[in-house]
Amino acid sequence: MSELETQKRPSMFERKDVKQTVFIWVIFTAIIGYFASTLQARSMGAAASETMSTTIHMIRVFTWVAAPVAGLVAAMAATTLMSKIHFGDNPPEEADHQIRNSPRASATWMVVSSVLCLFAVVWGTVVLQKDNAALLNSKAMNINVTAQQWAWNFDYVDNGTARSDVLYLPVNKPIVFHVTSRDVIHGFWIVQMGIKVDANPGYVTDTSVTPNKIGIYDLRCAELCGLYHAYMQTKVHVVSQADYDAWIKSQGGQA
Amino acid sequence: MNKRLLGALGTVILGVAVIAGIGTYVASAKNDSRVMVATAAGTINTPQGNLPHYTLDMSAYPDSMAGSHGTTGGVHPDWVTYGPVTNFQVPAHSLITITIKQYDSGARITNDFFASVHGTVDGTAIINGKTVTSVDPEAVGHTFTLHGLSDAKSQLFVSVPLPSVPDASVPASGYTKSPNTITFSFITGDAGNYVWNCEYPCGDGTVARFGGPMSTQGYMSGNFTVVNA
Repeated sequence: MSELETQKRPSMFERKDVKQTVFIWVIFTAIIGYFASTLQARSMGAAASETMSTTIHMIRVFTWVAAPVAGLVAAMAATTLMSKIHFGDNPPEEADHQIRNSPRASATWMVVSSVLCLFAVVWGTVVLQKDNAALLNSKAMNINVTAQQWAWNFDYVDNGTARSDVLYLPVNKPIVFHVTSRDVIHGFWIVQMGIKVDANPGYVTDTSVTPNKIGIYDLRCAELCGLYHAYMQTKVHVVSQADYDAWIKSQGGQA
Repeated sequence: MNKRLLGALGTVILGVAVIAGIGTYVASAKNDSRVMVATAAGTINTPQGNLPHYTLDMSAYPDSMAGSHGTTGGVHPDWVTYGPVTNFQVPAHSLITITIKQYDSGARITNDFFASVHGTVDGTAIINGKTVTSVDPEAVGHTFTLHGLSDAKSQLFVSVPLPSVPDASVPASGYTKSPNTITFSFITGDAGNYVWNCEYPCGDGTVARFGGPMSTQGYMSGNFTVVNA
């Protein structure tokens, strides 16, 4: 037997290239986790409801949980590229990183993926259920939302006949939206409150939220609905109860 | 240079060129370039003080034989259309008075919200000499609804229903001699780009009657540009 054949091959984690990959993995995980969770949450704007706060928190956690997976893939890709640059098309045996017919590797990958998916499903379901709690609140305020190419209108059914194209909401009051469409499918999305449901013609879909911060927010259509879909936006004014009462009276409604 | 690298570079350049070509074609085909500039009409007293006054005149036709599509009606002579053009330009911080002659018949509007007047001075419009805040939702021909992106500096939402001409008054050819005349005024804010469209489903049978002329620029919708005076 040759000297090369009798030489004991180092275990997986003793190999230099594997150590390098693990190091890059940790770096990539930190970078991906930080930027993905921060930028994503920032792009959604400041939360104006507990629903949105919970959603942003959930996205941050999901992002950090998923970051090692993305980091590992990126680290392996980086190692492979560096190996290719270093060794060319004929790498020596010690540069062979392939894992073949390894039940342990397959099982680990499947179990980790399943746990991550299950985690997302369970937590997502809990948050969704919490979001809709106001649907069962008998003191919640009801607003009918009608979507149409390419505008929104709102009927404040608990306040008489008031209607508007801009949405006004009192702060810290549970609101139930009854959403429908007069033509095609639209998407009712109050960005900073974290609620989004489809507006379907012929059907009424209920969703709810409790705005908890006074301010002006964005309402957008979230389903591509035709020529002026991009213009199907309006503002949401969250005001104090007193200001809301004054506004509703100015619209011909009853406080 | 490495052949494979050259191939990859070529693929990227080709992809960018294809996307740029599609974008250029869509951008150039998206709209009629003709614009009607509002006519100056002195100054006028408004709820916001004395403001410059400008006017725009337009019509809503039951087909495309009038308007901007030529005497042959263009590609779709049977489509309803506004005219003489569908792009308008008005000054910022001014009172704009629009007069529309409505020649088309109609029926029930799908959403009563658009049978009411919104966003005009005093929330009213003058229809055939009578001041109204809404029309019968069972007899709407079209609407003139103006809106913009919600993140624009100034919010602008104006919607006025145009009552239908009775079916009996619509001739088999040509246009009625007694169109409905609708006049309304609103005050513009800061300069910006807005769009207007009809909210009565007067398109063809597709997309809940919002297809055809309702989904094609140059017929029942267009640009509304507010510029600094």
